[in-house]
Amino acid sequence: MGRNNAYWFALPAVALLGLFLLYPFLDVLRFSTWDWSGLSEPKVIGLENYRNILRDPDFYNSLRITLIFGVMTLIPFVILSILLALALDGQPYERPIKALLFLPGLVTLGGATVAWYTLFSPEYGALASVLPVPRWDQSPFWALVLIMLFTIWRHIGYGVLVVSARLKAIPKTLLEAAAVDGATASQAFRYITLPLLRPAITFLVVIGTVLTLQGYTAVFLLTRGGPFGGTEVLGYYLYKTGFEVGRLGYAAALTVIILLLTLAFALAQARLLREEK
Amino acid sequence: MRWLGHLLVATVALLVALPFVWMAYAAFIPPEAVFSGDIFGQLGFSLANFEVLGRGGFWEGFWGRLLFSVLLTGGVTLLQLTTGFLAAYAIKEGTKILPFFLVLLAIPVELLLVPLYGLLVGLKILDTLWALVLPFAASPFIVYLLFQGMRTVPEELLEAARLDGAGHRVLLTRILLPLLRPQLIAAGVLAFAAHWNLVLYPRIVAGSKELKTVQTWITDLQRQNPADWGPLSAAALAATLPLVIIYLLYERRIVETFEEGLKG
Repeated sequence: MGRNNAYWFALPAVALLGLFLLYPFLDVLRFSTWDWSGLSEPKVIGLENYRNILRDPDFYNSLRITLIFGVMTLIPFVILSILLALALDGQPYERPIKALLFLPGLVTLGGATVAWYTLFSPEYGALASVLPVPRWDQSPFWALVLIMLFTIWRHIGYGVLVVSARLKAIPKTLLEAAAVDGATASQAFRYITLPLLRPAITFLVVIGTVLTLQGYTAVFLLTRGGPFGGTEVLGYYLYKTGFEVGRLGYAAALTVIILLLTLAFALAQARLLREEK
Repeated sequence: MRWLGHLLVATVALLVALPFVWMAYAAFIPPEAVFSGDIFGQLGFSLANFEVLGRGGFWEGFWGRLLFSVLLTGGVTLLQLTTGFLAAYAIKEGTKILPFFLVLLAIPVELLLVPLYGLLVGLKILDTLWALVLPFAASPFIVYLLFQGMRTVPEELLEAARLDGAGHRVLLTRILLPLLRPQLIAAGVLAFAAHWNLVLYPRIVAGSKELKTVQTWITDLQRQNPADWGPLSAAALAATLPLVIIYLLYERRIVETFEEGLKG
């Protein structure tokens, strides 16, 4: 295997990732059969945690909120990514705008939420002195809208990049040939560009689903699950039960269920979007 | 149709830039303007908000936390680049472990909070510096990015050096390191941003005062004084600026690296 024993050089990465990524990923199954607060002696209780989750109304409520949030976020995210990539393609300002769109994903998350919070606070926020800001501190719907806007703001640069990379791979001769044959711009888009963009769209939908099912940092920073538990997405529910309530075994079982849900969704979507071809 | 595209781009660009512009503006708002509620009425420029940040002990205050975070995340980034560079070299030299890293790429780290916590308890490194370093000392994404870069290095070049008697060390430091500089920079910025932006993880595994990252510090301040915008915005700006500057310096490389990664 390999020349000159080069495989030794992979050892640090393999060992570290094996211990701190692969092992915890598998170990979560063992934790999920425990009744454990992190400080107490763990007590093995078999599948009790899973049974309780399936009877837990908070879990279902949180699942419902996550699904609503996912649909609310993904559709505008994908559409905006496509429209922006098309509008940017070949324009003189393509590079600087792409650079700007990519920036929110990299900057300090805590700092970004401070800016959002002070900007969008209802009543006292900076925007509120110019135009009416919906009471997202009282209405679960508007709170979800705020999280949605923040999520799109952070990831739109990546979405545009994905579509744009695909767009550049479409041969220009194809569109020229269509124009010669008398196709209008909208026909060319409908019958040539859009079908060829399908892999990029599938990729965005699947990645986006995974992120919405698992992400909760924005919720933690902006609304902490409120108002009235209206933004308590699955990831946040997991964090709360594990580290605020201190039921780590239960949280481990929740982790397994979220992982399974993610896998099921991603596979179903990938298949659905491929079959439509 | 064309003007519609321009309009869309202009609108989105403005909205995306708005929080940044506001952050920069709010950091220099005179404290009186915030208390009177008249934010845009009296344009003023004041460094008072930054002075407030310096209060309290240095090491436990904002500037100390900023320094700690820069050193911590910088160190972790160097570690990730080192382990990643060596692993990418091993793969380039014929070790068949790329699939191992690709599988790991699919594991959602954000969801591993509970088992990682359990592991850190077991290793007795909870609430130590190691808890913030070791789990991030290697990254499958960085291994993948660096290997993509190494693939473009012609095999003949390495072969020629080997015939001249070059060992692993010469190949790695004299040939591959300079050739991979662009990829290392891009990977480094991404690794830095990823570690810098951890919010929940450091709060849970390293909560003590001397281990607080700047993210945790800002989040704490926001929770205690949500109405005290001036100092909050100043802290947000000071914690964001280093990343923005690094990004603007290497923006071309980073975006290109991402585009190359998408093709693969």
